[in-house]
Amino acid sequence: MVSDPVGGRTRARLLFGLRVATLLVTAVVVGVLGLANLLRRWESHDLPLVQLAAFAALAAVLAGEAVLLARRRPWGRLRPLAVAVVLAASALAAVTLPEERTASAVDWAFGAANWVGLVVLLDRPLRTVVAFLAAHEVIALSNMLLFSDVDKGDLARLATGSVTVIGFPLCLAVVAAVLHRIAADAETAAAEVERVRTAEAVAAESHRRRQQRFAELSAGAIPLLEGLADGSLDPEDPAVQRRGAIEAARMRRLGAESDVVTNPLLHELRHCADVADRKGVVVELEARGHWPTPPVAVRRDLTDAALTALATAGSWARVTVVGDQGLVSVNVVADSGEAAPASPATSDVRVEVLGNGATVWVEATWQPTA
Amino acid sequence: MAADGVITAVIVDDHAAITAGVRYWCEQAVPPIRLVDAGTRLAEVWTGPGADADVVIFDLELVPGRPDFAELRRLVDNGRRVVVYSQHADTATALKCVDLGALAYLTKREGLDHLIPAIRATANGLPYTAPSLSGALVADDAPDRPRLSPREVEVLRAWFTSSSKDLVAAKLNITVKTVDTHIARVRVKYANVGRAARTKSELVSRALDDGLVTLAELNRTVTPL
Repeated sequence: MVSDPVGGRTRARLLFGLRVATLLVTAVVVGVLGLANLLRRWESHDLPLVQLAAFAALAAVLAGEAVLLARRRPWGRLRPLAVAVVLAASALAAVTLPEERTASAVDWAFGAANWVGLVVLLDRPLRTVVAFLAAHEVIALSNMLLFSDVDKGDLARLATGSVTVIGFPLCLAVVAAVLHRIAADAETAAAEVERVRTAEAVAAESHRRRQQRFAELSAGAIPLLEGLADGSLDPEDPAVQRRGAIEAARMRRLGAESDVVTNPLLHELRHCADVADRKGVVVELEARGHWPTPPVAVRRDLTDAALTALATAGSWARVTVVGDQGLVSVNVVADSGEAAPASPATSDVRVEVLGNGATVWVEATWQPTA
Repeated sequence: MAADGVITAVIVDDHAAITAGVRYWCEQAVPPIRLVDAGTRLAEVWTGPGADADVVIFDLELVPGRPDFAELRRLVDNGRRVVVYSQHADTATALKCVDLGALAYLTKREGLDHLIPAIRATANGLPYTAPSLSGALVADDAPDRPRLSPREVEVLRAWFTSSSKDLVAAKLNITVKTVDTHIARVRVKYANVGRAARTKSELVSRALDDGLVTLAELNRTVTPL
């Protein structure tokens, strides 16, 4: 499952605690009770060294779990091997038991291997644990049925023993399964909360941006459109046409500002130039050098100077950008009769206008202060 | 140059319309320039009338996407005066052509205003710096670029952005002649750090003779960063 970090953390914390508890319980059951049983009845065993080997195998699996737990890693591909080792140890211990001793005090492994298996399978689905416990029980039962004369007493002993041997680990496995589900639910809930929160933030941000855009347009484009609508502005008037060209370029720029591009300044300038291009002005745009990306306010100042000059261009305009780490310079040279210098809003931007009759050169420079 | 003083140029370009346009500009120029059309056949630059031409107008990309720097190097090594005439406007290509010893680098867009002056300048063994090349020189951030004075950088930047020497002169409060001097000094400095070639030694020794730059200035080449 692809989980978000919050849900993933909840889940990991819950299951880690359960894993530690299970390992501790198992360590006590196997290491203290199991070993004590084995040693106390050492003389009763026909092959005590084989029993010891089975114990060692279980202990090795527990040691493996301890290492994995310390490194917070799951069993992964080692899991089938570990289960096989546990079942083999269980079978080995059962087969080498003295006759008619299954599920008796001598049979230490009956009440130990089940716990070790649970440790290995704790984070698996419940049915896997059930299958393992069933296998464990079948080993004990078949050993008893095949190799000894069974009487009622033996069966009753096995049944009584099975209540704890199967029941307790099963309870723990059920708890683990419930915890898994709770964790998964928590994860889903956290993801949902996060999704709703993101959606709200996005909505608030786009609302804010729309309002801001509207505010920006209200200073320029809206009075112009209102004037044209109520007839107070004459579309034939060159000054009105010039204002229209400037506002059209500003609106294009506004749209281009939210585009994700590598060079926003050039991108926005291209949009400004395009408006002049559509008017029939031949625009060439050339850029040289590499410069840091100016903030939006600075880019507006830089492009505003250019689009004002472009709006008055008669037939041609040359737009150039040249920059390095210390200076960015945006230039428009065009055959404009007059050029009103735009007043930059940011203090780091300087606009210079130079005209020699037919040609006007507007240069806006920005010196990054940082 | 021919005995009658008429400049001859040979053009290598795969577009017939470009060649026709250049021929028209050459015929209209005062005084006119004789143009030899080599088409796309580089051999005609080396043999026949093309071999005696004063200037080679060289389309860098006869094969699209594969700029022929090797041929440019061969031409320069044989003392030919080359105007690279390219549709490419990128800084790296322009700088590479200058480094290889081309006396002028023009984008095709600049042809109308700058090709004839470029042919005249290069025919005399002088470099010609059009605005696009000027921009490339300003943007050059190679560690081995020559050391330029702040004024020279200012002139290059203004020439690139305004593409009018009158405007540059007005803006910087200098004469057009001083603008030209600054640009010429930059080219001599670049020639000095570029590859050894006949055009380079001509250029540098002439600049020294004319007092355009001093030996001390040329030896202090690399810009400390």
